[in-house]
Amino acid sequence: MIGNFSFTRALLLTALLLPGWATAQSAATPQIPLLNQPALQSAKAQRSVLLAVTRAGERLVAVGERGIVLLSDDSGASWRQARVPVSVSLTAVQFVDAEHGWAVGHLGVVLHSADGGETWVKQLDGVRAAQLALASAEEGGDAKLLKAAEWLVADGPDKPFLDLYFSDRRHGYVVGAYGLILRTADGGASWQPWMQQVENPEGLNLYGIRAAGGALFIAGERGLLLRSSDNGQSFQALDSPYDGSFFGLLGSARGELLAFGLRGNAYWSGDRGASWQRIDTGVEVALSAATRLADGALLLASQAGDLLISRDQGRSFQHLAGPAGASIAGLVAAPDGSLIRVGLGGLTRQPRDLPSAQR
Amino acid sequence: MNDNNSSLEQQVVIGRLEDFDPRSGNLGERAIFNHRPWVILFCLLATLLLGYQASKIGLNASFEKTIPTSHPYVANFLEQRSELSGLGNSIRIAVAVEEGSIFDQGYLDTLARLNDEIYLLPGVDKPYMKSLWTPTTRWTAVTEEGLDGGTVIPDSYDGSPASLEEVRTNVARSGEIGQLVAANFKSSVIFVPLLEIDPQTGKALDAGTFSRRLEVLRDKYQGEGIQIHITGFTKIIGDLIAGLVQVMLFFVAAVLVTVAVLYWYTRCVRSTALVVLCSLVAVLWQIGLLASLGYDLDPYSALVPFLVFAIGMSHGAQKMNGIMQDVGRGTHRVVAARYTFRRLFAAGMTALLCDAVGFAVLMVIEIRVIQDLAITASIGVAVLIFTNLILLPILLSYIGVGAKAAARSLRAETAELSANGKHPFWSFLDLFTRRSWALGACLVGLALAIGGFAISLQLKVGDLDPGAPELRPDSRYNRDAAFMTQNYAASSDIFVVMVKTPEDQCTRYPTLAAVDALAWQLEQLPGVESTNSMAALSKIATAGYNEGNFKWYELIPNDGALGAVQTRAPRELFNQGCSLLSLYVYLADHKADTLARVVETSEAFIAQQRLPEVKFMLAAGSAGIEAATNIVVKKAMREMLFWVYGAVILLCWVTFRSWRAVLAAVLPLVLTSILCEALMVGLGMGVKVATLPVIALGVGIGIDYALYVLSVILARMRAGDSLSEAYYRALLFTGKVVMLTGITLAIAVATWAFSPIKFQADMGILLAFMFLVNMLGALILLPALAYFLLPQGLFEKKSEASGLLQPVGEA
Repeated sequence: MIGNFSFTRALLLTALLLPGWATAQSAATPQIPLLNQPALQSAKAQRSVLLAVTRAGERLVAVGERGIVLLSDDSGASWRQARVPVSVSLTAVQFVDAEHGWAVGHLGVVLHSADGGETWVKQLDGVRAAQLALASAEEGGDAKLLKAAEWLVADGPDKPFLDLYFSDRRHGYVVGAYGLILRTADGGASWQPWMQQVENPEGLNLYGIRAAGGALFIAGERGLLLRSSDNGQSFQALDSPYDGSFFGLLGSARGELLAFGLRGNAYWSGDRGASWQRIDTGVEVALSAATRLADGALLLASQAGDLLISRDQGRSFQHLAGPAGASIAGLVAAPDGSLIRVGLGGLTRQPRDLPSAQR
Repeated sequence: MNDNNSSLEQQVVIGRLEDFDPRSGNLGERAIFNHRPWVILFCLLATLLLGYQASKIGLNASFEKTIPTSHPYVANFLEQRSELSGLGNSIRIAVAVEEGSIFDQGYLDTLARLNDEIYLLPGVDKPYMKSLWTPTTRWTAVTEEGLDGGTVIPDSYDGSPASLEEVRTNVARSGEIGQLVAANFKSSVIFVPLLEIDPQTGKALDAGTFSRRLEVLRDKYQGEGIQIHITGFTKIIGDLIAGLVQVMLFFVAAVLVTVAVLYWYTRCVRSTALVVLCSLVAVLWQIGLLASLGYDLDPYSALVPFLVFAIGMSHGAQKMNGIMQDVGRGTHRVVAARYTFRRLFAAGMTALLCDAVGFAVLMVIEIRVIQDLAITASIGVAVLIFTNLILLPILLSYIGVGAKAAARSLRAETAELSANGKHPFWSFLDLFTRRSWALGACLVGLALAIGGFAISLQLKVGDLDPGAPELRPDSRYNRDAAFMTQNYAASSDIFVVMVKTPEDQCTRYPTLAAVDALAWQLEQLPGVESTNSMAALSKIATAGYNEGNFKWYELIPNDGALGAVQTRAPRELFNQGCSLLSLYVYLADHKADTLARVVETSEAFIAQQRLPEVKFMLAAGSAGIEAATNIVVKKAMREMLFWVYGAVILLCWVTFRSWRAVLAAVLPLVLTSILCEALMVGLGMGVKVATLPVIALGVGIGIDYALYVLSVILARMRAGDSLSEAYYRALLFTGKVVMLTGITLAIAVATWAFSPIKFQADMGILLAFMFLVNMLGALILLPALAYFLLPQGLFEKKSEASGLLQPVGEA
């Protein structure tokens, strides 16, 4: 049955254009209990769908479906479930230090933790995000933006945030479906809709946001690549080397950049996105996650479970392990060097020396 | 039973028939014995007619009959059945390689040939059949332009290593791993949906025939490194029917063993043959009547002919015993037959009525198969009144008994009646009428009761073994089922919650969100492995719609997007009109605790459900039906015990008119019932449709023994005998028959222990146990209890009292 998700983008767009899409919603915006329903403490949390994993100092934090947040203080040997005030799928998580972190997810949810992930507070949800967008559009007076914001309110909180980037405890962005982007300068206490500052006229999905070499980059649907060189004040579209969708980004302080997405496509830029070169990955399925290991090597994963490694800052990758393992939605290196993978089948932990031993 | 008093008195010995007054005896006796040829003619005609009918009896193992159709869960399921396409009847055939992998030219060729043969079997729903070779098995991949795809085995397949490699790649991206192809690539499945009605013949699918055809194919293709595993409901039924045929052979074994026991007891070929003949006639009539009334023999009611035969044998033996003693004394065989009829007809009737009560009580259980069992058994017992209480004495009056045997019987009786000739075994049993032994027996009985009760508290409801509980755990089918669960993501224990919505509204967000919430609650329960529903599919589908990106894995509150999922969703998750959703809950087992937890959580969720126009209903799927069955069985268990003991106590009271005697008769039965439950715990059996009737049958038939023994004891004690004397007389007169009955019944049902059908084996073991323990209870515990409950003084006072009122006493 899982094999049946053979749906085309076109079908979804058709659905979008159906009259029922917006009107049915405006008639009766459904109550969404999940937005206020604390996540159930579940014995099956570790085997649930998990979509991202990161480090909060020495701690590992994984997030996924039904508001599940898992914490490990022993490099992934054992996990416990954190208290989360919502039950929606969480799609991405980032910690700026051992205490402060944010997680984003479906229904426009933004969560914040100030205690290393133990407890979380909801800072934003889709209902409020839409209202913010409407208020900001009314202020701006742009007719097109206003119409989009009205739609956003009418649709209800059906749009997910897909990624986030915080540079410190105060400054950060959350990005998501249909070009949704909001910015905060006070650690999430208030949020500003940032759509009007982004060159994304088609409202394409924004899948990843990262910093590299002093600039901010966003990657998204249909080859969308955006860069901000003015500290996030505005984002300009770059010449994209690829028509298909990018699912993620990985940047380095020196400005090297890796963008990856559909059908094993990955591109490398050594000049802050000005020019891109294609990387031969030898993988046919979508690339879903990348992470930097302690020794500086880069690890790139496919949704099917392929692992690729680069020791030259992303210029080239070698295939490490085939798709025999479980699917991968996110991965990170644990403090002890082992590799933590999350995906549709939950958590898996690979022993520490696997990536290096493979060479 | 009061006739027993007179039955104990010896009748006058009449050597010549002419000396006997044919007008003596009651109306019934005269009606029967003065028209013997007519009775025989009637029986002959009945035997011919019913014998012809019996030849038409069908074998059946209907699923619906074994479930409580009146329980709301089952009623919900039956009501929605036509909409639940995911629960349609299908067969899964796994074709496994012993070495290497399925990506092998030889394997794929074999699979293709088997696939083609199965495709041609009548009853297969051809368009929906699925295997690596069917064009419906496709792979898909997301590309920048949209989707790419094709059949898993490409049109260009030629068996070359390159094309085998292509098949391997296609399988990997087909999403069929765990579904059609095992994760270890050592087997693949042919999925065969079946049509309930064959459109060509218009007849219902014959499970027996279909199953045999599958076995032929299995024999043809298995071997040379290929193993074939077949599972599916139709295969279970097929195996049950095959088992039923085999069980009929056990009947022959049961007959032979009981004949041997009877011959050992009588040493008379003639009379043994007659008793066996009459008992077989009873079975023949019973089956003939069933066929005439439109019943089939199913794996449950197939037990009844064994019981009828065994009961017939013991009653027949009793008749023969009487006639033999009379003939031995010199009475003419016709007169002896009449005397025996006079003495034992009433006793036999009472005993058969008790049996009938035991059976009839089963009617309170609202499960068809048990009610059928009750009817079948009642018919059998009714038939026995004709064949063994009437026909047998008449036949004996013509044929008589062997002279040697008669003489031997008389010798034995005479020897036994002289005080010093007591058989050592009788002397041993007599010990239990003395204080110390009686006390010991009662204390042991009490200890057993307490211990047994403590163990019986762990008695579980429902089936406890994995796989198809109808069949033995090590049966071919269950080994195949274990193979399937090991290699494929398909649990056989499925609990389905049905969700009814208005037409075309099944994919509305609030409904799907509620289904998803229930699914998540259920997944937390121990024993729940996973769930599947339209909600779960919608999450995956949303990811699929969004270029396969996992981050879209969520139920999006957008009815347009959710509705779009419908077009590509498999039909088992929702119905044609989009008004019924199925939430599949896959369980690790079908233990009663697991089912009860799922039911409890679901019911609690449903009670809090406030969605207008949306109705959550329990329960379909094998586990859903089983949950309902467990609930009914658990309730029926108490009800049945109440009724069966109520009826038995009433019958005993009517017979004995003494609550002390009732206690003495019923307490041993209670002990047996408790021990039987303890045995079930020990053997790992649960209370289920098959074991439920056993307790009623055990108690109903078990009370016979107490009736036989205690009625004689009471009569003798009322006549002034001591307990010891009275018990000794009871042993001589009926005790032997009690033992014979206990042993023949136990043997007849014990043959079931070898049945390939698990629940028949369970029934056989439990019934044999109950018959034997009831017999021991009547012979050991009953006299011991009588020592305390029926002291001599009781009768002295009584006889004085009655003597005052009735100056003309028995003495």
